[in-house]
This record gives sequence, C-alpha cells and structure tokens, in this order.
Amino acid sequence: MEGTADKVALEDDFLLRAGNFNLYVCLHGKPLELEKAIIYDAIVIEAGDQPHTLNLVRKVRSHLNPECYLKPIFLYKGSDNRDALIHNLTDGVIFSLDQTSFLIPVIEKIYLRIADLTYTTSISFEAQMIDKCLNLLYTRQKMDFPAIMYVGSSIGYSFPELSVNFHLRDEWQVLDILNIMEAEGIVQGDYTDRIYQCNQCSSGYLIYREVCPTCNSTNCSSEDLVHHYPCAFIGPISDFKNELDSTLHCPKCNKNLKHIGVDYDKPSIIYTCKNCSGKFQDINVKAKCVLCLNDNEIEKLVTKEIKNYRLTKKGETAATTGYVSTAKDIEEFIGTIKIDTFRTMVKYEVERLKQNDYNSNLACIYLKNAGGLYSMIGANSQRALLKDLVDVVRRNLRSSDLISFMNANSLLIQMNEIPVKIAEHVLAEICDIMKRLISKNFKNYETDIRYKVVPITTRLSHELQIQQLTNEFQA
Amino acid sequence: MFDFDDFYSYITSVGAWKLIRIFWFYLLFEFFRYIFIEAVTIILWKIKKRINRRRLAHARRSFLKENPKVSIIVPGKNEGKHIYKLAVSLKEQTYKNYEIIIIDDGSDDLTPEICKNLQKNGFINLFLRNDVRGGKASAANLALRFATGKYIVHLDADCSYDRDAIEKIITPFYYDKEIGAIGGNVMVRNYDESLITTLQAIEYLDAISIGRIVSSELGIYRVISGAFGAFRRDVMDRLGGWDIGPGLDGDITVKIRKLGYKIHFEPSAICLTNAPDTPRKLIKQRLRWDKSLVRFRLRKHRDIFYPTRSFNWPNFISFTENITYNLILNVTWFVYIVDMILNYPSELEYIVIMNFILYTVSNYFKFLFFSPFRERQQAPVHYFLVYLPLMVFYFGYFLRIVRTVAYFQEFVFKASYNDPWNPQKSSRHAKALKL
Repeated sequence: MEGTADKVALEDDFLLRAGNFNLYVCLHGKPLELEKAIIYDAIVIEAGDQPHTLNLVRKVRSHLNPECYLKPIFLYKGSDNRDALIHNLTDGVIFSLDQTSFLIPVIEKIYLRIADLTYTTSISFEAQMIDKCLNLLYTRQKMDFPAIMYVGSSIGYSFPELSVNFHLRDEWQVLDILNIMEAEGIVQGDYTDRIYQCNQCSSGYLIYREVCPTCNSTNCSSEDLVHHYPCAFIGPISDFKNELDSTLHCPKCNKNLKHIGVDYDKPSIIYTCKNCSGKFQDINVKAKCVLCLNDNEIEKLVTKEIKNYRLTKKGETAATTGYVSTAKDIEEFIGTIKIDTFRTMVKYEVERLKQNDYNSNLACIYLKNAGGLYSMIGANSQRALLKDLVDVVRRNLRSSDLISFMNANSLLIQMNEIPVKIAEHVLAEICDIMKRLISKNFKNYETDIRYKVVPITTRLSHELQIQQLTNEFQA
Repeated sequence: MFDFDDFYSYITSVGAWKLIRIFWFYLLFEFFRYIFIEAVTIILWKIKKRINRRRLAHARRSFLKENPKVSIIVPGKNEGKHIYKLAVSLKEQTYKNYEIIIIDDGSDDLTPEICKNLQKNGFINLFLRNDVRGGKASAANLALRFATGKYIVHLDADCSYDRDAIEKIITPFYYDKEIGAIGGNVMVRNYDESLITTLQAIEYLDAISIGRIVSSELGIYRVISGAFGAFRRDVMDRLGGWDIGPGLDGDITVKIRKLGYKIHFEPSAICLTNAPDTPRKLIKQRLRWDKSLVRFRLRKHRDIFYPTRSFNWPNFISFTENITYNLILNVTWFVYIVDMILNYPSELEYIVIMNFILYTVSNYFKFLFFSPFRERQQAPVHYFLVYLPLMVFYFGYFLRIVRTVAYFQEFVFKASYNDPWNPQKSSRHAKALKL
C-alpha cells in the first residue's frame, strides 16, 4: 500500500516496503550487514553522526559487486547532513519512515537505468574502477562529474563516485584513473585547479612550513639588515637598537639614524635559526606530508591538474556496453586467452566429453583481497604482478591447458583429460607458489588465494558451469 | 737622424759633474730609494729571516696547535662566475679550520643562484646578499658582522691562492703579537695575456713582491691589498670594519696603524690575480688607486702629520715617504723635464736616450738582483727580460701621467667621491663628512 510503510522487525534492523520494493533500514548506531542488505531493493540509513553515516555509505558504494554498489541509498533524518560525499553518493532524503512512497519513482528510475548496463569483467584495477564509476554515473543520470573540494580527501578534491573506492592513502590514484578516462574519451575535462602532492605518498595533506636550510627547524626569527651610509656599517637592526628609547644608533660611528633612504637603508633581511644558530637569507619552504610525514622540498612536490569532468557520449555507451579497454588489458598477458575464447573452448570440451570417456576439469583461482593490493601498488606494478602470477600458473600446467582472466581477481583454467584429484593437487601447489611470491614481494600484505576445481559435466551448459564455479567467489 | 758616433763622443766627453747635473732626478731620488735602500734592506731582511727561523717555526707550531677559526670573506658584485673556482682553490688549502663568507653586493647577474647552489653543496659556509648595492665597504662589513673566526682574511673573488696561502698569511700573527694585519703577496696570473699584463706582472714582481718586503721591514708598509689581506678580528671590531671607498684597502691599513699595531707583509702567502688586460681598464684602475692617496693621505688621515698625543713616527715616515715619492716627486719629475728642456735643448735627444739606457740598466740590475729574494716567479726570469726595456715607458711615462691626472682630478674636483665604483648614496655622505 503506497504511502504506508509496513514494518517487519529484522533483529537490529527494519524491513520496509515501498510499493513493490523492499527497503533495508539501518538505524543509527547499528551495523550495516551487507550480505543482508544486498537482497533488498534499496537501503535507508538513519543519518546519525556524520562519520558513521559516511562509513555506511562508503561500505555500500565501495563494494565491487554491482548489485551492492548500485543499490539506491536514502538518508533518513539526514536533512542537515552537509557532507558533500554523503550528499553525492546517496539518492535522496526522507524525514519520516512514512515517506517511503516518495522514494518509489527514484528507485524505479535507478533500476530502469541499471537494466541498461552490461557488466564486463575488467582485468585491470583501473578498468574495474572506471566501470564502477560509469555505472554509478549512468544509473544516477549524472552527466557532470565535477571535482568537489572536500576536507576529507587526501588530495583536497573528491570525485565521489570514484573516490569512494579508495582509502585516504590511496586516493591519489583517482587522478590517474581520471586521466585514463579522459585519454579514452570517456569523459571530457575542464581545468579547474592545480594541486601539489607529496612525492612519497602522493597525498595532498601538506603543511607548508618555513624552515632553516641547515637543520630544518621551524624555530627561526628574521631581522632587517640596516646599512648606515656614512660609515658603511651594516648589521641586523638589533645592533642599532638600545634599551632606553626607540632611536636607532649606529654602533660604529654612534650617530643617530634619521631618514631611511637618506642616511640609511634596509638592503635585505637575515634569518637566525634558534636551533642551530645558523644565519641565512633564503628561508626554505618545505611541505610536510601529514600522512607519511615526509618533508618535501617544494620544487619536488608532484603537481597535478584538477578538472571538472563531463561524461561524453562514448562514456555513456561504455557504461551500457561495458568498458572497452579491458580487452586490451587481457591481450597483454601472454599465455592466457580471452574470456570469450575460453567460454568457446569450454563449450567444445563439453561436446567432446559427450563423445569420450575421460575427465576434464574447470578451475578458478581467486585472489580474495586483490583490490587492496592493486590500489597499494599502482597500475604498472599491478600489471607486472599479474604477468608474474600468470607465469607461475603457466609453468605448472601442461601446454594444452587453457588459462583466462575472468576479471582482475579471478583466473579460469581448463584442464583436460586429468583426474580431478590430480588437478586439485596441481592447483594447490600453484596457489602455494603464488602466495609465496606475493608475500615475498609485499611483506605487509596478507595474502588470501583460494581455488576451486570442478569436473566438467555434460549435463549442464558451459555457461552455467562457469557461472556456478565463479559464483562462490563473486558473492 | 741619430748618429751613434756623435752620441758616443757625447757620453765620453760629458764628464761626471755634468752627468750628475743631467741625471739628478734619478740619482737623488730613484737610485737612492729604489736601488740602494731596497737592496740594503732586503739583504738585511734575508739575514734577519735566517736568524729568526726558529722563532718563525715556533710561531707556525703555535698557530697550528691553537687551530683558530679563520673567516674568509669575499665581498663583491657580479662575481658569481669566479666563486666556484675560488671555493675549489680554498678547499685545497692546507689549513682547514676556516669558514667562507660570500657577500653579494646587489649583483644583477646569476651570482645569487650560483652562490646559493655552492652553499647548498657545502662549498661556502654563508652567502648573504644585499638586494640594494651598498658598496664594497658595506659588503665587507656585513661579512665581518657575521664572521665567527678569530682572524679575518679578505679576498677578491677573481683571485686564486697557493695551497698554503692561508697558513702562511696567519702565521705572522703568532710571530709578533703587535701585528694587527698582514698583507699577502699578489702576483699576476694572466701575465702572458697581453703586453699590458706582462708589464704589470713585472711591476707587481718589483713593487709588490720586493717593494712591500722592504716597506714592511722599514715599518712603513701602508696598503694591504684587498685581494689578499688578513686581519685580527678584535682589531677590526675596534675599528668597526671598513670605511667607504674607493681606496678602502689603504684606509683600513692606516686605521690599524693608527691604533698602534704593526702591519706586516708576508711574501710567502701567494695570491694570483688577473690584472687589467687593456690600457683602458688599467687607466681606470690606476686613476682610482691614485686618487685615494690625496683623499686618504692628505685629507682623511692628515692628522698623522700633527704633533698630537697619538703622533707616531713610523706612521709619519710612512705617510711622508708615500707623499714624497708618489706625489712630490711626480711633480718634481715634470720640473726635471722642464729643466732639461730649458737648459739642455740641444742635448735633449742624447739625454732622452741616456735616460732610457740608464733606467733600463737599472731595471735589469734590479730585476736580476732581486730575483733570488722573490718568493716565486710566475714564469722563468728570461720570459720577462725582453720586456724590461719597455718598463721605462710603462713606469716612467705611462703610469706617471696617469698618476698626475688622478692627483689633479682629486685635488681640484674631489673626483673619487663621484667614482661609480662606490654608490652615490654613500659617497655623498663621505664627501660631506670629509671621509
């Protein structure tokens, strides 16, 4: 019944109905359980304190599963919430749980747009982020993608639909991804500002400080230098001062200084460091990074342009057809085949098995927390890592076995004419080597690599078999 | 047409008395002062040095044991291009406890960038810049103000120094506690660049290397060259540093003498400088130097001649000798010329030639006689021998005329106060205060 909300108690949360839509209500102070929320049509978050609300919104929008990150989010009692990120990442505000009927057209519109989307599984982290961003923009009918000056951003500006995927320390990657988007013609950018980033961690959280060029201390004082023309004495103004009055006396000739420009001038200034007693005229300006504490030389700061972006027609098309450059990414990995080819090969194998009596297997290797690792190491290192991992897999398989990237986290493998137990043993070994490789190179990174091997059956279609295999890891 | 036989018969028949009459200027002043006195003094100096060699060695040991900090100050304008070479030459010094302070007096070239870079890379300790030019004295005083050494060594940026130059120039302070300042031995580096630099190199070998040993020994040494001079810090603090130039090198030396300190010349502390390579540049330099004799000796420090409580005989003799030989004899030379023209008009041709021969022989004698006493030559003696006859024209005519012009300009127009070498804002005050 429209205009009325049916409440169903759900442990700590509420389930609301709005028309045909089921709304998941997360009350203030309660955790948002994504695995529950994902089955609902929209999420209503009671806006309490801003950081908590933002955290809940982030949790949804930063998820990699489109069913989660595209979910409509509404704020309940959130009218006074002025946080730009929350505002941009939510779809509306209600003031009472009785007003849910107002949300119906919004939810409908979003789902209509979601229906247009094609989900491609991008190999690179960047492509995944671009996909996510385009999907969000498209479903929310946002053509403009402006830079928002945001205090909570480590680069000073936030592009909410993209920035939400990054932690404070990794947010610098947003600009690289936007550059890729612009280069691909997905968005068009108009210059708006220039920012300076730490040359170590790329953060824009910098404190500009005047420091002693010798010891880097900020405990410095400055004085005018005074040149007394008649006797050519020159020294700091304190040399000319006395404790009795405000007149200036030359310490060399004991004359009063009368008129600047006539009998004396101030040709420059001098700084004194109270820490190391050093004297200097050019004080160093350094930018201390709040995040990594690196003291940057100003001239070594990384300069980046901030632009207001606008989605192009190509961008809109990319959202509905999938981000095109992912294909290119896959081709780069020697030893793998395209996912479409892989699907075809599985189809042939199913047909072959109908004629023959032997075992073939389908396997998936899943790098569970790969997103975090990729965001930590950047695009180039990510590519290098994936190449190394493919090498490991390739070396431990027979040349007749097929490998393909499902996405940046998942590798699909077809192992023909081999018992499932042996295939499992091989996969276990491969995963072990991969784990060792990652932990050796990224010491602070917790590696979580999983695998699953299933025999190819003639009873199910090849598509269904691939879907069933990967579903476990994609949830 | 010159007839050699006539000339020969003239000199053989002229007779001793007439020779003295004709060459009175040379015999009375120049031979006595520049050959006899110098030769005797330098022989005595050598003997004294030999006798005091243990004391000298002890002074050196005391200096090295104390290891005092030496502040090397280099004031200048648009000298950036020289600073790197200078800093490198100083890095080679045998004495290591020094700081280098470079003062940029309102340069309008790349000096600030060069010096900041050198400071960043540890070649110099302190670089200070006056955005507005204040003159060399103020630049030197700024360096002095921030110098932390016990001794101050004033250098010119376009010079380079022997590896032991700093050690050598400071050691005499430990030999005689009454020494307030020490001058280094300045030689011409670009002696083979042009004829004018070769003649200056010979002049420096004579007037500086030998002349200053003699004047130092006689206690009348009066100009510590700005290119290489060492000063006691406490003495400089008492004086408040340098006064407005041009001629501030001579002025500071006189001021130190007036305080009762001795001024010493150290021939073994060697500095190489580039001499002006064109007559035009040389004239400009010498006009500036010579004007300062009138300005400082006859005006600012004329009290040296007054019988006041601070009267001091060595200072009096130093000034008297300076004024006599540079100013009075300069005028007397013209009297001599007139004397010859009026009294011996028919013999003038022979007199000029005889003068030339006499001075050339003297120059050869002096050059060869003093050679063993010189600390070092830039080139073998024979390199300069062919040029020695030209010294008659260079020293006897060219420099004498330049000197006369300088004295005239300073006496009549006080031209030194208008010299662009010093900014007008300071010179105006110096003129008003008769400094």
